[in-house]
Amino acid sequence: MPLPQDDQATAHMVASEPEVSFHDLLVAALPALRQQALALTRNRADADDLVQTSVSSALAAQTSFQPGTNFGAWMARILRNRFLSNMRRRREIVDIEDAPASLLARSGGQEEGLAIQQLRHLIGKLPADHRLVLIMISVQGMSYEEASEQLDVPVGTLKCRVSRARAMLRRWLLGDDEAPKPRVAAPKPRARASVPSHALSALPAAPVMAKLGRDKAGAQLERR
Amino acid sequence: MSKPGSPPKRARKAPSDKAFDLWLDQGLHAMFDEVAKEPIPEELLRLIEQDRNNK
Repeated sequence: MPLPQDDQATAHMVASEPEVSFHDLLVAALPALRQQALALTRNRADADDLVQTSVSSALAAQTSFQPGTNFGAWMARILRNRFLSNMRRRREIVDIEDAPASLLARSGGQEEGLAIQQLRHLIGKLPADHRLVLIMISVQGMSYEEASEQLDVPVGTLKCRVSRARAMLRRWLLGDDEAPKPRVAAPKPRARASVPSHALSALPAAPVMAKLGRDKAGAQLERR
Repeated sequence: MSKPGSPPKRARKAPSDKAFDLWLDQGLHAMFDEVAKEPIPEELLRLIEQDRNNK
């Protein structure tokens, strides 16, 4: 189950508790904003800076927020605009999309698995707008309609971005995304795992995928 | 082929696709959940509280 959404919570607060102050809404929105900032910047220090400047902008512009409207969406737009503004300024010095993701990403230390390190690296290679909506949908548990409202982007476009982001990650990790699947069924191997072994061994997360293949895909889907 | 009048069948994801999606979602949560659970930096809260007190 996805985590409860802070912006959903704040939206609820707006609807049912009109006495909730602007500042309370802002504090409640911070965890989700920090996730979105990390998705955009790929870097903890930059994410903290982005949230800080966005909060400053929001405080300066608080009279333009209309009580009763979606606070999460209002803040998400400020965050995104600040990010784009920062990007334009930075591009004059260095194009961060060209910088090695390993330099930009925060290492989780020795306890962080190789697979997650690899994923962190590859997430950094996704376009920022794809990364943001992937996190909103897959991590923050938003519906496409909610994300559409927050980003002011059509639902169809967001679905396309998420699908493309997943396909890119799959192709980079497994290298078999575009490979046509054989129409003629090959003789079934003895192994019951539903995930092809060549795909699993190609993935840095082979042990994780193998376990998933056995535990979930294998056990549940083979019954169909 | 679906029978005339019957709703079109939706393309079913291959088991390996589902396994990958599960693994990816777990990985994304591992990467991004931490930041949402961390305490909000004091500096940020102070900034908001200062503005609140100035109103």
